[in-house]
This record gives sequence, C-alpha cells and structure tokens, in this order.
Amino acid sequence: MKPEERNFGKNEQFNYTMIPGGFARKMRTCVIFQAFRFAVINIKMLVVVSKSH
Amino acid sequence: MARLVVMGGGVSGHTAATFAKKWLGNEHEVVVVTPNSQWNWIPSNIWVGVGEMSKEDVVFPLAPVYEKAGIDFKQAKAISIHPYGGEKSDKEYITIEYTGQNKEGQVEELEYDYLINATGPKLNFGATEGLGEGSTLGDHTVSVCTADHAVHANLELQQIFEKAKAGERQKILVGTGHGMCTCQGAAFEYIFNIEHEAKDAGVRDMLDIKWISNESFLGDFGMGGLHMKVGGYAVSSKIFAESLFSERDVPWIIGAHVNKVEAGKVHYELLDGTTGEEEFDFAMLIPPFTGVGFKAYAKDGSDITDTIFAPNGFMKVDAKYDAGAYENWRASDWPKTYQNPIHKNMFAVGIAFAPPHLISKPASSVNGTPINPTPPRTGMPAGIIGKAVAHSVCDLIKEGENAHLHEASMAEMGAACVASAGKGVFSGTAAAMTVYPVVPDFEKYPGTGRDTDYTFGEIGLAGHWIKHILHHMFIYKAKLKPGWTLIPE
Repeated sequence: MKPEERNFGKNEQFNYTMIPGGFARKMRTCVIFQAFRFAVINIKMLVVVSKSH
Repeated sequence: MARLVVMGGGVSGHTAATFAKKWLGNEHEVVVVTPNSQWNWIPSNIWVGVGEMSKEDVVFPLAPVYEKAGIDFKQAKAISIHPYGGEKSDKEYITIEYTGQNKEGQVEELEYDYLINATGPKLNFGATEGLGEGSTLGDHTVSVCTADHAVHANLELQQIFEKAKAGERQKILVGTGHGMCTCQGAAFEYIFNIEHEAKDAGVRDMLDIKWISNESFLGDFGMGGLHMKVGGYAVSSKIFAESLFSERDVPWIIGAHVNKVEAGKVHYELLDGTTGEEEFDFAMLIPPFTGVGFKAYAKDGSDITDTIFAPNGFMKVDAKYDAGAYENWRASDWPKTYQNPIHKNMFAVGIAFAPPHLISKPASSVNGTPINPTPPRTGMPAGIIGKAVAHSVCDLIKEGENAHLHEASMAEMGAACVASAGKGVFSGTAAAMTVYPVVPDFEKYPGTGRDTDYTFGEIGLAGHWIKHILHHMFIYKAKLKPGWTLIPE
C-alpha cells in the first residue's frame, strides 16, 4: 500500500478527502523547488502588503 | 503640546505609539499605558508551546525601547474612561492602576487630547465552565495565548511525550474552548506542531491527536473560509484543511460549542443539537475573547459605558452596527477610520474595536446555542490599522480637527498567515497563506468574495523560511532598530 493510501481507511472523515502522493510530498521538502516557491510566495505577499497600505 | 495616550502595547498599540512618536517628534507627547513590562511576538508562542523556543526568544522589555523613542511608558492597566472630564475639570482623562515600576496598586488620572484603545482582548476563560475563572486559565487545559501560557503548555506536553515513550497511550485534544471563539489559526498551527514534534520524538504512534472547533466546516478560520489557488485549481479552504488533517491522521470534531471542561474530559454541543464528551490527557483550548471591561463615565459620574462600548466590551467605531441579517451584510459595513462616532478624539485598533458582525456565516445549534467563529483581527491587519490610526491622529494634531483621516478597512486589506509544522530549516513543513481581502467583498469579487490571484496557500519548506524571517524581522522592527520603519506591517 502506498503511504498516501494508508490513512483513507483509518477514518470515515479521511476517506472523502485528498491526500498528497509521494511526488507532492517530495516537492514540499525539495530545497531547489522550495527556493523557487520562496521567491514566488514572497513576491505575492509583498503585493498583498502593498495593496493593503 | 498635545498628548496622545495609547492604551495597550501589543502589535497594534506598539505600532501606533511608535509611528505617532516618530511623526510627532518632541513637540507632542505620546504615552503608552500597558500592564505588561514586555512585548511579545505572539505568533512564535506556538514554538514556545512545543519547546522549540524559550520565552526569552519571543519577548523583550518595553521600557528601554520606549525610553529610546521618547515615549512615556506607564506599566499600568487602564480602568475607566472619562471623555467629558470630571469634577475638577472638563479635560478628558482615563484612570490607570499601576502594575509595575514600583508603583503597584497606585491609581492615577491621566489626561489626554487623543486616545487610542489598543488593549487587545480579555482572554475569557471563565465563559466556559471549568476552562478557567475570568481571565485566568484553569487547571484542566493549557493555552498558548501568552508566552507564560506557552511555557506551561510545553512542560505539560513533554510529560505527555514521556508517558508515550513509556508505552502509555495518550489522547491530545486541540482547538477552541467555546462556541464563540476566534483565533482558530493559532490552534491549527499548534496541533500540527505537536504532531510534528511527536514524530521527531518517535511517539506519534502512541498519540491520538484530535481537533475540536466551533467552525461549521474545517478551514473556516473565522473568515467564512476562503478559496485559494492550489495546483492550478481554485480550491476551498475546506478541502485544503481536510487534506492536511487527513494526511497527518488527525480526525476532527467541528461545529462544537465546548460548554464544560473537567479533569480529562470536555463536554460539547454540536450544531445538530446533539451533545458529546471527549476524553483527553492533554488539551489546548483557545478561550473566547471579550473587551477588557473598561467603564466609561460622564462628567456627573453616571455610567455611559454602553454608549462607547458594544455589549461584548469592544469599542464602537465607524462601522455599520445595524446591518441586520446575514443577507444584508456588505464589505462596506466594516470600519475604515476606527474613530469613535461620539468622541472624535478616540480610536480603537487591533482586537479592541467592535466588528460590525461576524465574517463567517452565523450559525446556531437547534437548541439556539450560537456556534460560530468570531472575526480574527490579529497580526498584519492589527499592525496596518494601528499605523493608519497613528497617521490620522498625527494629522489631527498638526492640521486641526478637519484633517483627512486615513483608512484601513479589513475589506480592503489582505493578510499573510504562515502556519508552521516544526521549526527546522530542512525538515517539517508550513502552510503559507495569503488572503485578499480579509473580509470578503462579493460586490467587487463575485463568486468567492476575494481576489484569487492573491488568495493562495501552499505547503512546504518555503513557509518555514518565511516564518523564521517574520519572527526575526518583526522583533527587530518592534525594538525600533535602524531602518525599522522600512519593514512593512
């Protein structure tokens, strides 16, 4: 059983949700990808800050 | 020389006082009245509550900062407001009672020309039987609302981990301790930090971790939920949050009004009217918030509290308080200038202002018990509002009573939120979210009420890094170190 499939059977609530697979989880801690996302998130946050003042 | 008195030294009050002093210079006086001797970067209390930071990492003494800035600091709690003066004079004043500076218990009258109410909330533990008495936390649960609470929470949590290591299965319950709570985000962040720390400690398999909250759906966050861009989809925060909880094996109880807490057990009522009990070995339940309980008096000593404060104890400002039913609610109901409608030299910022109504859709159980999150007013909005009001007061002092007031409606501002799970630079993850605007505007953004280009969320290490940067950046700013004005709220 793949890790992402394990929790679906544990609880009725979990059975109707989406759970990330291996690739999605890997990308969350991939330093190169996250460095890129860090830049994107910061730019978006700065835009939100500038629109809010 | 005019005197501005700021009641409260949290995010909003500190921002207002420091900017006002910078803009007013030494020609005018800025006084801060706060019962606390230390400033606390509250978002990092979560890391204190799991032992990843010490109390000293999230607080610093206010007195030296205010001395450097030229702000008069009174470590005292404000008790009452006298907007028409008293027996001796027509001059407006507040009464304060010292809590420090070797004057504990002394009462003083403090005159003002302008008053900013930035007291934050009273942590109303006493609203739920067994959760505490008044604003004092009880014996059965823990809290992360203050740095001291978080230190205590961590001590209790480590005992739970020790029992789990010894092979004793433990139940952990985190969420809201009343049907009218706000700050679900803090509890949300805390539960996932516990889950992360439990994995690191090798005891996750010995813990049953459960969420309980007054939200009618997971991911409401007191903002009626939000739709965010995730992986190319516009996704409801319900799906985002349920996925996060399911992935981490954390079941949930929602639509719950916790009405009684006893040792090892909470009692709750659900929206469908049914009741239930949940046992726990460790519980962190956020209390409901109210105003701090100021009284206001007319010149003849008669009580005029209800003309200045809403029934929940928060100060009335330029909001539309008679909007009526949910169908009539508009983004324009939300205050813009935070000026009291009767006393034009009085403002309320941060959590201290009375919101016009909820943001989430109102809900109550079939028994009539209101069970819905109240609006969050913390963090970024609190800072922005504090700065805007400081700007208004400075203009009123310098240009006179017809000066233009600066606006900072929560229906026109966004908020950034980073909910960490762990603290490591290369381990754990964080949910980084922005929402724009905080209060949905369905006339401007039909459909979701928000701009989905700037309302987004994602999970990853990047959020961790941002959370670390925010921690250091905002403490640096609050200490008024070189370039502090360049750091946005």
